Amino acid sequence: MAATDSKRRTVNPFLAAALALPGILPATALAQTVPDKGIFALDYLDYRDWQPGADRMSVRSPSLYVLAPFADKWTVEGSLVYDAMSGASPLWFNTLSGASGLGVTDYRTAGDLKVTRYFDRYSIGVGGAYSHERDYISRAGSLDARWWTADKNTTLAFSFAGNADYIHPSARELDNGGRDTLDFLVGITQALSPLDIVQSNITYSSGHGYFSDPYKPLDTRPGERRVLAWQTRYYHRFAASDATLQLGYRYLNDSFGGDSHTFDVAWAQSLAWGVTLTPSFRYYTQAAANFWFGPPYPQGFEQGQDFTADTRLSAFGAMTAGLKVAKEFADGWSVNLSADFYRQRSGWRAFGEGSQGIDPFSARWIGAGVSKTF
Amino acid sequence: MNAAATLHRTAFRAMGGDNELLLGGAAALDSVARAAIDDVQRIERKYSRYRDDSVTSAINRGAGGPPLAIDTETAALLGYAQTCFEQSQGRFDITAGALRAAWDFKREPPVRPDPGKLQATLANIGWAAVEWSSTTIRLPRPGMQVDFGGIGKEYAADRVATIAQECYARHGCVNLGGDVRVWGGRPDGSAWRVGIRHPRAHEAAMAGVDLHDGAVATSGDYERYVDIDGKRYCHIIDARTGEPVSAWRSVSVVAPLAIVAGSYATIAMLMQRDAQAWLDRAGLQWLGVDAGGEVRGTLA
Repeated sequence: MAATDSKRRTVNPFLAAALALPGILPATALAQTVPDKGIFALDYLDYRDWQPGADRMSVRSPSLYVLAPFADKWTVEGSLVYDAMSGASPLWFNTLSGASGLGVTDYRTAGDLKVTRYFDRYSIGVGGAYSHERDYISRAGSLDARWWTADKNTTLAFSFAGNADYIHPSARELDNGGRDTLDFLVGITQALSPLDIVQSNITYSSGHGYFSDPYKPLDTRPGERRVLAWQTRYYHRFAASDATLQLGYRYLNDSFGGDSHTFDVAWAQSLAWGVTLTPSFRYYTQAAANFWFGPPYPQGFEQGQDFTADTRLSAFGAMTAGLKVAKEFADGWSVNLSADFYRQRSGWRAFGEGSQGIDPFSARWIGAGVSKTF
Repeated sequence: MNAAATLHRTAFRAMGGDNELLLGGAAALDSVARAAIDDVQRIERKYSRYRDDSVTSAINRGAGGPPLAIDTETAALLGYAQTCFEQSQGRFDITAGALRAAWDFKREPPVRPDPGKLQATLANIGWAAVEWSSTTIRLPRPGMQVDFGGIGKEYAADRVATIAQECYARHGCVNLGGDVRVWGGRPDGSAWRVGIRHPRAHEAAMAGVDLHDGAVATSGDYERYVDIDGKRYCHIIDARTGEPVSAWRSVSVVAPLAIVAGSYATIAMLMQRDAQAWLDRAGLQWLGVDAGGEVRGTLA
């Protein structure tokens, strides 16, 4: 008996050769056990934003991502990103536009590394991240666990991360530019039917420290921020038309007061020759922060209060339209091109009044990427 | 209605035979079955030696010419064929299809092929001489040909299982011309019961195997054959000698994948008297009926 068992444990040559055939094992089963393939991806993103009469920021951002399985039950994955930013100081309250004067050129380098160990029904991952730019350093550590049912129709995810950031602006001395944040996530992915998947995550983030914009002389924000967000996504596969519909909604509650709602929809259509075309649309709306004061300056502001005029914290609505084209090649290579256009207006605010006197704001992203599984 | 407890059955013709697909455990099984059967037909179109526009025909037309570019799937199938060639010590050879033409199983009255003609056919057989890589193939001599017939059907059965499971059909059974692959057990929790056909009483099952997940494939001398002077010559031919095998009437093998079960069953037929030891060494469940009608194997 023992001899038979030991023979069975040696790799059957036919089975080993068969597993090299494409589509011989379900990808869904592989997704939650150890990935058997590595991924190498190189992406380039070009971002630009503008308001009437002014080009503002532009960012060029090449990035690299690698995932590699090792020693049967482990994966290691890591990424590196380099951002080159140039343009005006980001998003100054437009009535004071130009007061900051100086243009900004900055570079950010960031990297992260994560190691995951897979077991029969669960996995545990440990990660670290580091980001550096001229006036800002961020360090983070994370721990995550995933558990799935035997039929793999249900997956639960838990994660915990701690971030320590430090801001030391060139414009002025800060007594304490440190900020610590803890992030928690609980999520579930459930297959409802052969063609329907729903995914829901709750995240909670609690931060203490310096949240103000050091480049804006009158920007003082609370020293504590708590953000609770609930995001749900639903995917439906239309087998006959070889397409997938994705619907999403996120509610975010922010102790700064800027509660927001996000609705998104995307349609991934497979075409001939391994090409997938994905148009997408997103609507976003947020309330203004409690300490946001609109023009004419400083309407309603009393000395000693928290204050910001950052238009990112005003009340507005925004729409994003995007299109992505991807092509997969049989040998594991794939390429993609994407373009997204973003438009933000006070008048598009839903569930409340938009902030007054804010110019519309536009941005666009153009992305290109290439990846290879190995 | 409890959709999970019922089975959705589709019968379809492909790869020259009658096939059946049973699915359970999910909704919209119609479209799941359609997607899976589309893939069987895709594999048939791509590798059929009867179609001028197939990859197989393109490779065979290029025999003696320059290398031909191939895609990943074709390269993976060639890699699998290489394993079969090595593990069978050259008995199983995807370049041996011409031997079936030499042994004309349709000729009336049947005769043994002319020895000279058989030798000429054997000269164009030999996987070891084929130049291939993950991106190209070249058959070195004009007249050489490849044939995925011994692999393609079983590969298609395994792909059906994959596609259906990816569409959340948790229970399923696919039978492609006698090669069976099952997964997830039956919707009521019991195992799939796979019957094994008697090699001489074709409508009768001589044994059964209970399987939740896995495959059963059978190779036999009864599919295509001729009887000459009281001796049966079947379509399973040793690529080294050009002679049909005769030690077994049929061999059935249980394995995790249909393609693995199919290779073991066919190569066991080709191994003749060495098959029993070879199968036992592999540690698989099997059932064979030898030339004398004796039933052997772990399932006997």
